[in-house]
Amino acid sequence: MKELEKLFNRIVQRVNINLREQKFDVRPYADALIPPDQMSKFYAFYGITPDHPLDLHFENSALAGSYFLGKCRVRNSLLYKSDIRGDELKRKDNTIQFGDFALTLNKDEIIDIEDSALVKTLVHNYSHDPETPEKFFITDTLAMDYANIHGSPTDGSFLGPFATVDLTTMRDCVIGSYSYIQAGEISHQKVDPGTIWVHKPGQFNFLYKYPQDILAHYVSLSPDKVPWGVLIDFIEERKEQFQRVFDFVNLDAIESIPETASLDRYAVVLPNIKIAENVLVSQRAYLENSTLGKGANAQENCFIINSCLQGYNVTAHGAKIIEAQLGPYVFVGFNSFLYGKKDSRLTIGTGCVIVPHTIIDIDQPLEIPAGHLVWGLIRNKEELATNSLSLDELASVESSFTKGRMHFEGKGALLVQSFKDRIHHILEANGAFFANGENAGHAQRNQKLSLNTIQPFQFGAKAGMYPSIRILP
Amino acid sequence: MENHRVKDLMVPISEYATVVVGTSLIDAVKALEQAQETYTTSKYQHRAIIVLDVEGRIVGKISQLRALKAIEPDFTANSDIEQLKGFKFSDQYITQLRDLYRYRGKVMSKESLRAASVKKVEEFMQTPSAGEYVAEDCSLDTAIHRLVAGTHLSLLVTRDEKIVGILRISDVFAAVFHKMIKLENEPVNAP
Repeated sequence: MKELEKLFNRIVQRVNINLREQKFDVRPYADALIPPDQMSKFYAFYGITPDHPLDLHFENSALAGSYFLGKCRVRNSLLYKSDIRGDELKRKDNTIQFGDFALTLNKDEIIDIEDSALVKTLVHNYSHDPETPEKFFITDTLAMDYANIHGSPTDGSFLGPFATVDLTTMRDCVIGSYSYIQAGEISHQKVDPGTIWVHKPGQFNFLYKYPQDILAHYVSLSPDKVPWGVLIDFIEERKEQFQRVFDFVNLDAIESIPETASLDRYAVVLPNIKIAENVLVSQRAYLENSTLGKGANAQENCFIINSCLQGYNVTAHGAKIIEAQLGPYVFVGFNSFLYGKKDSRLTIGTGCVIVPHTIIDIDQPLEIPAGHLVWGLIRNKEELATNSLSLDELASVESSFTKGRMHFEGKGALLVQSFKDRIHHILEANGAFFANGENAGHAQRNQKLSLNTIQPFQFGAKAGMYPSIRILP
Repeated sequence: MENHRVKDLMVPISEYATVVVGTSLIDAVKALEQAQETYTTSKYQHRAIIVLDVEGRIVGKISQLRALKAIEPDFTANSDIEQLKGFKFSDQYITQLRDLYRYRGKVMSKESLRAASVKKVEEFMQTPSAGEYVAEDCSLDTAIHRLVAGTHLSLLVTRDEKIVGILRISDVFAAVFHKMIKLENEPVNAP
């Protein structure tokens, strides 16, 4: 048996042992997930910069098409076109406040991936678990296409396609397709597809669940099949455009990018794109015929097509904005799918917050007034009325309310503040407020990044595996 | 003392009304009525319907309570409410929500009844949990414990891997209390 197959079987077994209580068998999903011949087809690559500590350690792993930055250890794992970004990890001597505890790190934090398979998965941010401040671990886990493990140490879990776990420590859980979970800590939980849950104990609790039959139109998953649905088709139709940027070692630099903006060389940029100052365009972002105003950002795996973002907009990982006009300070959360059409454009007013994993799919023009929170499935004005609320109104909620399929308990003002703080932090970290040499963020620092590639074994028993290697400064 | 085994009291599975997944509520209820008519001479009164998958395995049952729940207009919402606990919503919030849905929807309206009649059995059937099985050779003690601990109205009786019958709480109740009444009339030191 080839090494790759042995590794794959071992990972499946490890995940299944952890999920035995849930009676969840990942093998049927895993079997269709990673075609072995693809694993030797793509190189892995890593970034080197003067600003980030460098310590990459790969051991008995397959890394096809994956990207690494910062400090990261990968052992007995299978990564396929995943993005492991360690530029936001905590550093030695940083002090983090958790309740009454002030924790000082005695070494740099590291992303530690072991006995896991991650497919087209994003791993970003830093461990928010005060019990493991120096280690952002991902162990015994299978994550499917476009999953997002964001600041979430994860053990013994399964993430379906487009599932996001955000700032949450997770153990022995099954997270259904297109679910978004931000809940601090969860264990032994099976979450249905399309569950949007934002919970801060003692402060607020927000829950929305997509109607399963309608969600299936956008993303479906069944054993022995690769995921399918409108979201998958949308990405597949644009896949070839990415081929060019990954095929060439050096691409011609795109002119007319302001010095304070950053456009990653692994982003797809199609005519006609206008990029203003302090804009950040991350790798695997796809831009076509759009304008990004000052301080806007387009994060990994996002698509912006025939749209105008007026400035200081956050387009979070995996978000898709098509045929839309966004006012300033609009936040579009992870994996949201804003699907306007040529004759049915979407207009979003200043300061709106589109909750992660929102789907807006319209055949008539739709306008969202300024300062609104928007969530769930919206296909017309009636559904917008049900699945939105002004931020002012939300801030006045003192105990609870329910609207359509959404449940909220707690203080609305705390949820509003939590979103505002986070949006401000993202803009700040991305360098949106850079001026006169101050407030530099990713948009400015990423300009000092260069890339190296690593190749897998092409032949023999180890075909598709990568040599064990440690990369230090 | 007489020792009942589960198999002495169970209703054989062949006596039960069964439907397959995909059957509507109205057809399931008709199947139940038909079963009752067929077995008028039988000693068993049927209060539940067994749901089978396409390969004939038992995948759920529908009690009268489940059928009534299905005709509540907000049954889907109600089942969502039941999940809210897992997402850390308070008992107070859940109670408020139940009251709200009850207020919104009338059960005995043409619209509600028509809407409920086409619901598929798998939408509201009860799927058996681990503690809901009992082997046919088990003692009545074991069965009583499982009925009480799980607050079940019946248990699925197994022989090897196969389900061969249903043990209803009414039959266990009758057996236990007939025995108790009989004992009342016996001297305390009787063998």
